[in-house]
Amino acid sequence: MSSTLSNNAMTSLKRSLAADPFASNISSKVYVRSTKSGKVQKIVRELYLRQDIPCSSKLCTSCLKTAPRDASGVLAPLVLSAKPAGTKKYKQGHYLVPDTNALLNALDLFEQTAAFYDVIILQTVLEELRNRSLPLYNRLIGLTKSEEKRFYVFFNDFRLETYVVRDPGESINDRNDRAVRRAVKWYGEHLTEAVKAAGGNSKSVPAVVMLSDDKENLTKAKRDGIDATSLKEYVGGLENADQLLDMISVVKEGRELRDARSAEALYAEYFSVSKMMTGVKNGTLHQGIFNVSPYNYLEGSIKVPAFDKSLIVLGRENINRAVHGDVVVVEVLPKDQWKEPSTKIIEEESMNRDENADADEGEAVVTEKERKALQEEVKKMHSKSSEGKPQPTAKVVGVVKRNWRQYVGHVDESSVSQSAKENRKQQTVFLIPMDKKIPKIRVRTRQAGEIIGKRVLVTIDSWDRDSRHPVGHFVRSLGDLETKGAETEALLLEYDVQYRPFPKAVLDCLPAEGHDWIVPPSTDDPGWKDRKDLRHLDICSIDPIGCQDIDDALHARPLPNGNFEVGVHIADVSHFVKPNNAMDAEASIRGTTVYLVDKRIDMLPMLLGTDLCSLKPYVERYAFSAIWEITPDAEIVKSDFTKSVIKSREAFSYEAAQIRVDDETQQDELTTNIRILLMLSKKFKQKRMDAGALSLSSPEVRVEMESETSDPIDVKTKKHLATMSLVEEFMLLANTSVAAKIYEAFPQTAMLRRHGAPPKTNFEELANQLKVKRGCELKVSSSKELADSLDACVDPQEPFFNTLVRVMATRCMMSAEYFCSGTQAYPEFRHYGLASEIYTHFTSPIRRYADLVAHRQLAAAINYEALHPAVRSKGKLEAVCKNINVRHRNAQQAGRASIEYYVGQALKGRIVEEEGFVMKIFSNGFVVFVPRFGIESLIRLRDLADPEPESVFDAENYVLRTSGNREVEVELFEKVVVRISDVLEEKTGKRKVKLELVGKGSK
Amino acid sequence: MAPSSALQQVLLSPAELSYLHTSLASTPPIRPDGRTSRQFRPLIAESNILPGTNGSARICFDDGTEAIVGAKAEVEKSRPVFAAREEEGEGEEMAEGQGEGGERGRNEWVDISVEIPGMRDDDSMPVFLSALLSEALLADGGFTRKLWINRRFHWKLYIDILLLSQPLSYPLPLLSLTTHLALLATRLPRLKSEKDEDPMFDDDWEASVFLFPQSQTAKPPATLLVMAVSSNIIFDPSKEELAVAEVVLAVSISSSPSSFTPESEMDVGERKGGSLKLLAVRTIDPPSRLTHPGVPNVVNTATGGTATDNMEMAMAREEGVWKSPRGGAKRKLIAEMIRKVLEKGGVGEEVLDGLEAVGLE
Repeated sequence: MSSTLSNNAMTSLKRSLAADPFASNISSKVYVRSTKSGKVQKIVRELYLRQDIPCSSKLCTSCLKTAPRDASGVLAPLVLSAKPAGTKKYKQGHYLVPDTNALLNALDLFEQTAAFYDVIILQTVLEELRNRSLPLYNRLIGLTKSEEKRFYVFFNDFRLETYVVRDPGESINDRNDRAVRRAVKWYGEHLTEAVKAAGGNSKSVPAVVMLSDDKENLTKAKRDGIDATSLKEYVGGLENADQLLDMISVVKEGRELRDARSAEALYAEYFSVSKMMTGVKNGTLHQGIFNVSPYNYLEGSIKVPAFDKSLIVLGRENINRAVHGDVVVVEVLPKDQWKEPSTKIIEEESMNRDENADADEGEAVVTEKERKALQEEVKKMHSKSSEGKPQPTAKVVGVVKRNWRQYVGHVDESSVSQSAKENRKQQTVFLIPMDKKIPKIRVRTRQAGEIIGKRVLVTIDSWDRDSRHPVGHFVRSLGDLETKGAETEALLLEYDVQYRPFPKAVLDCLPAEGHDWIVPPSTDDPGWKDRKDLRHLDICSIDPIGCQDIDDALHARPLPNGNFEVGVHIADVSHFVKPNNAMDAEASIRGTTVYLVDKRIDMLPMLLGTDLCSLKPYVERYAFSAIWEITPDAEIVKSDFTKSVIKSREAFSYEAAQIRVDDETQQDELTTNIRILLMLSKKFKQKRMDAGALSLSSPEVRVEMESETSDPIDVKTKKHLATMSLVEEFMLLANTSVAAKIYEAFPQTAMLRRHGAPPKTNFEELANQLKVKRGCELKVSSSKELADSLDACVDPQEPFFNTLVRVMATRCMMSAEYFCSGTQAYPEFRHYGLASEIYTHFTSPIRRYADLVAHRQLAAAINYEALHPAVRSKGKLEAVCKNINVRHRNAQQAGRASIEYYVGQALKGRIVEEEGFVMKIFSNGFVVFVPRFGIESLIRLRDLADPEPESVFDAENYVLRTSGNREVEVELFEKVVVRISDVLEEKTGKRKVKLELVGKGSK
Repeated sequence: MAPSSALQQVLLSPAELSYLHTSLASTPPIRPDGRTSRQFRPLIAESNILPGTNGSARICFDDGTEAIVGAKAEVEKSRPVFAAREEEGEGEEMAEGQGEGGERGRNEWVDISVEIPGMRDDDSMPVFLSALLSEALLADGGFTRKLWINRRFHWKLYIDILLLSQPLSYPLPLLSLTTHLALLATRLPRLKSEKDEDPMFDDDWEASVFLFPQSQTAKPPATLLVMAVSSNIIFDPSKEELAVAEVVLAVSISSSPSSFTPESEMDVGERKGGSLKLLAVRTIDPPSRLTHPGVPNVVNTATGGTATDNMEMAMAREEGVWKSPRGGAKRKLIAEMIRKVLEKGGVGEEVLDGLEAVGLE
């Protein structure tokens, strides 16, 4: 019998591509997507290939004909210059096409202004980069947007000629590499043709050079006959090559080196991602953000949702290459390894002083010294009575997300070999970051001699199992240590403050009139629509001396019925900053204005901040007014919000206003009005206090500068004046009323600010300290109770004690945060510190973005204008809140750090004796707080005498006794006299005050 | 016995039926379309026609019947093991006693739906066909075991079978072959996680693995339709041929991994021959039973005959007058039909090889 299925009978038919006239334009992309909920989907995306994606070179005319135009028929401007720069090798000029590795290893290079212009970023590369590193991707996007660098994103995977189909059996990486090569080749041919068509000389066609660090890719490029070079080779051919070469990541190089030596792993291997995810889901592993203790670099803590208290991570092995800020997964250690958080100060500097950066061999993860320090800890733990409560410890088993950024620091001079200082041999040095929580970074550099004594910027590239320290590379030098420019820039970089000048797109959003802009004289002008004319009111502003961005102004006047009319007028910034334009976007990224001692980094361009929006005296300005009718007992009868036009009569400083109020002879209307305000504000304050508002304290000092050189000359603590709380009370009033109003109008999307009640555990330590040392009880169950018990914490002999306790209590608080009302339940809206049910920021739109959003929402709530979709979307608002919360915190920290720096500078070369208080106590040192300068600093036992005196630490009673060559007994909250001098801290390269213990008691 | 109601009644006169029957019963049988008894209708087959599925196929017979099958896999959490005890009744159907570290599948991990135009999904025909097809798939438990990921997770495989054309002939072989082809082409994302972790998969589709790797002998099952007229065994019968069939069998086979023999199987004759393995056999009610018998001239008053009470007797006497088949099939005949499917170099092997060749392209 014949066969059942003859071969020709059973024909296989694939969809015939030739039959479809558009077939060559269609391709598809297939991949597997795993969703968060655990679904696994096969995704097929159809790709429609086109031929009208321009090459964007100014040499080419053919692309212009077909390039797509926008709705108004305008062509996107061409990016790549017609005469790109040349190098020795490519004299005719060249365009660069980096592949993904090149960007991953050396994005810093591309950000240089010295070289790397006319770069073509391929879509393939861009997408690959996004998958590998989001921060780098964002930086690259920033680069492509800057016009001067001429980076062009070419969508090669959508262009017919440059699209490559993945071959069977080809890996994705190989396919992408091939796509890059194809694009490079196409560019080369395309440009040659373009130049020919224009009648140019074929010799003048710029070379298209592929940059890659992948050997195989380079070899294949040679074979395909396209220009390709490794980063190193390319950079080597540029001027200032040494400086640029340092910016290439050392990852690959280092690995090759070490492979050759086959060094053994020092750290435990991380778990696989799936193992971590399963563990976290099951609850056997925990995920959280890794924080390093500021006092002990070998101790980290991680707050996980599963437990109330943070888990402690002790020792290098357990920290397992986690760096402060990383999102890590930890495993709780068995109970016998639980420990108490260390009472000892351990600093990397003092521990591993003499390490050799170049030596890699024979080093253990934990040096002997470190081990000893830890042993002592354990011993102490064991010798402890049952009262000692060991806390659960944990071990890092994996890193979910690295939060590495660029770090500012300086080179550890001792790690630089003398010979290398002169020659330019490449060597490895240690870089000590300014942030003590960041471990030292090993950096290979050729410029060791030059960067000693400089503030430098570095990035961490990797931290392998076989390396004790993370490996990074040098980005750029900011300048000499302790120069104002370098230190300020360092600060801004450390706290991620955007300090670049406003781009042109932002400045284009400003009113065309510039400084000549005035409130339209005719009330028929559209600007006057729905605006109340309040120019007749006696409005004045009260601000710190020298304030230029005046956000707020006030007025008060008695009404015929015996009540008062009080108005708070806020600069109408939302009139000038429209939602979703470039200026709005920039402001939302900056989030807040940052105040440093000698510098202000504005959220909005100067023109608005200090002129058009600022409620300057004697000129008419647009404002957003909140007007209340208030009884003499400070009860609010009615409130009203309106856009307005005002004319401030005077801009007072706090001091001037105070003098005026105190001066009985001043009986003019303005002064009497201020007195009314003052009277009301006191009543408001009392009411707030009765409701349980906290009066907290943080040390605030002001650095006095010499007016011309702006060199710091003195440090003064800020004085508190009644006029300050006057302004504060009315701002609080305005904020609370506006919060209630916008919440009523937009229950889901109101921009509010909350301050969570701190968990009890935060106060445990402080409550115990107060109980043991002073017999005071700290009640924390409500803000009212806390406020009362803080009031009770007084020491009749020591008036400052109460303030000290308040300072310490402040540090136990949660930080307040912005949020979108739809994300929290109403009871969670509470502002703990102000004891207010609902709160927002409304009164400083010039310097805070949240206020600007509140303005827009309030304007919509009073039907002044329609609410822009951007301020209506919960998702968008949440993103905004998240960003401004971070920016806000950074701005505060930057401000504090700036003061700290200048206090150090002001004290430079001086020796002062001052009173201080013991704030925190360790087994080998203690922290003293000096109120006069608002500084706190550590005094180590080894600073007391040399050799370090023996000590006994009574942790239960917070007493540290030393014996031997210096006998002292120091206890918590004790008043001491310290000698303050300045010293250049080796560890961070910061000039810091150094305290020495002179004696106990008063001066 | 399975219903055959799906088939439209074949509109053939008793005389035509009789003619057809006689031709098929002669040696060698003469089939209306000229095929030999073992020859299949020419067909067009292609696989991976639906890019969104994990595997798909289309087969088109030259009589115009056409089917598409798509298989889609989803990750599902397995029910905890203790639940298995509660339903021991189903236990028999479930794959049992498979060692290999407790990798065992459950029948509920496969969901087969059959759609036939003009029929509701609860009509007997689609329900029966999907039962028949899943029976073959689930018969030895080897298939569901392939869907095991770890103790906590498994793939759930949805097989959607769609008959595109009217059911001109009995659609079982078409659907089965298409399903077979689709399963051959089915790929699952490659697992990256280990052991009982939450599964994580390689996002590269190229790296995905075949459900039935080409290197392994295990292949998805196929169900063939075999009929017999007197002692002649005929494969892949057409609609007209079925109208005169005396016995119709649906034989499910798969290529057998040499070491493996199914424990519980339907008790039907010899079960082995060559490298093929018999999974299931079902008899199908041949539509010929519903045909009207012819009336012999002797009893037909219209042609001058006389009516008789005993129609049976009269028909038995007359040669060439159509009478619908009665009674069961002979055991020997059924055994012979199965043997022909399973024997080395037999129809079964040829079909499987032919389909694999399509899958390979």
